[in-house]
Amino acid sequence: MANTATPQPAPRLIDPDAVVAHVEKARRQSKAATVILTAIAGAICVLLAAILVYIISAGASKAFDPAFLTSPPQQFKEGGGIGPELFNSFYLLVLTLVISIPLSLGAAIFLVEYAPDNWVTRAVKTAIEVLSSLPSIVVGLFGFLLFVLQMSWGFSIISGALALTMFNIPILLRVIQQALEAVPTDQRDAGLALGMTRWETTVHILLPCAMPAIITGVILSAGRVFGEAAALIYTAGQSAPALDFTSFDLTNPACPWNIWRPAETLAVHIWKINSEGVVPDLTAVSDGTAAVLVICILAFNLIARFAGRRLSKKLTAE
Amino acid sequence: MEQTKVNAPDAPSAPVSSHTQVAAARAVSKEVAIRSNGTGVFYNTDQQALHDVSLTFHKGEVAALIGPSGCGKSTFLRCLNLMNLEIPHCRIVGSIDYHGVDIVNEKINLFDVRTSIGMVFQQPNPFRKSIYDNVALALTRHGMAANSTNLDDQVEEALRAAVLWDEVKDDLKKSAWALSGGQQQRLCIARTLALHPDVLLMDEPCSALDPIATRAIEDTARRIADTGICVIIVTHNMQQAARVSDTTSFFYLGEMVETGPTERIFTAPEDERLQAYISGQFG
Repeated sequence: MANTATPQPAPRLIDPDAVVAHVEKARRQSKAATVILTAIAGAICVLLAAILVYIISAGASKAFDPAFLTSPPQQFKEGGGIGPELFNSFYLLVLTLVISIPLSLGAAIFLVEYAPDNWVTRAVKTAIEVLSSLPSIVVGLFGFLLFVLQMSWGFSIISGALALTMFNIPILLRVIQQALEAVPTDQRDAGLALGMTRWETTVHILLPCAMPAIITGVILSAGRVFGEAAALIYTAGQSAPALDFTSFDLTNPACPWNIWRPAETLAVHIWKINSEGVVPDLTAVSDGTAAVLVICILAFNLIARFAGRRLSKKLTAE
Repeated sequence: MEQTKVNAPDAPSAPVSSHTQVAAARAVSKEVAIRSNGTGVFYNTDQQALHDVSLTFHKGEVAALIGPSGCGKSTFLRCLNLMNLEIPHCRIVGSIDYHGVDIVNEKINLFDVRTSIGMVFQQPNPFRKSIYDNVALALTRHGMAANSTNLDDQVEEALRAAVLWDEVKDDLKKSAWALSGGQQQRLCIARTLALHPDVLLMDEPCSALDPIATRAIEDTARRIADTGICVIIVTHNMQQAARVSDTTSFFYLGEMVETGPTERIFTAPEDERLQAYISGQFG
């Protein structure tokens, strides 16, 4: 042992050149991936921006014209506006959200916090996922059969709002469900360990935590509802009676708040004038309506996001 | 399975007497805070995670539960405030005597029990709210504050009791999530203390903290016990058990193997499994 004369060179377990080559290769790959991903992201942004700019610039002359925004549409002459359609779109959106937010919030809380984990719950969750990808024309035809014909509500705002609710609830439900599931379990445990009930824990701890995600979900679903046409063609109808904002007689078809009157929305209006419109300026009207629709959704998003941030700041003190 | 019952020689009273000696030595109350009797836990009707644990805890003492991972010490702790009932298919057997009521078998108000048996978790888990609201929330929910001035006072008192007041008194409206890990853990202690519990359960409260924050939590636990609260602390860290606790109970494979005054447990362990654990042969 002690008499080894020639010191042996340490075995080269690692080849320094190979290590350098490996590191350089990894760096090259990382750089290439960054370039490719940036290019893809950039291309998507450019595409989206181009679409937005095109829609808005094509319709700009009409979209910023107060007369176009307030006057009723024309059947045969040029110079028609989109006043009633604009109002109808917002009215339907608000009604839909008023019905669908409480329902989906309650259902999501039940599914996440209360429902036992058994086959019924799993079947319901699967059903929701299937429903959330249901084509909207199917929802529209179902609404036509059930609300318009079976319930004899005719083409009306209430039929449209309920069809949109059916279309919206699965999406909203899934978003809220995911938002609640994303709240760490230890927040739940902390509430329960302080002697609070499951309901108190949900309302005072979990919901405030999940609020930013819930608000984002509501905004996204609201955008879809606002731009929805197929589900409304057969439920809310394609005619827009001239509205009289001084009327509060809820049986009068001219009363804007009357939920039993037919109500064409912006998206349906675009579809209608392009498919069966005979007005001479139909391209201009269509472009203008599209621009107004896009601007409304944009504005709605920005406002809701701002309000959401304020609310979440207030709830979480961050 | 090995059936050595070291704590059995003079049968059920054995753990009681050892704890009582320590309590007497520290000249604190001999009043029993909570006592478990043959407590066990089943998961899914057939998997028994905890066997027949009988331990008595007194007011004003710090009791450590030690043992390797998966030995059942946390499971036992979660029986004491019935948090195990939140786990589906989990069943507690035996009895737990708290103020003369068997909280396992009698019909009790779960929420009252958890109000007076507080719990601090392994990971600091402050609510995503302001520091003030973290403490005030449960107080408000339980209707324990007469008015807002009274609420302010109670929040301050709780933060002082958890030795956090001086660090946060100017930032009460800031988010609790912006605090350091150790501060967050003391905030969790504060919000529990705000409800005036007489038992405080701590489930490895320092395992996510650095040594300085750990020391602060240990000092806080000691102070809390000195105010007459029974502190039960689960730890996998033997030095920690030796530093803070008056009594120590060793758990192994779902059984409570040996219990006694901390000094005796570490200097003269009787059971060979405990000897092996203390000498670092497994962990």
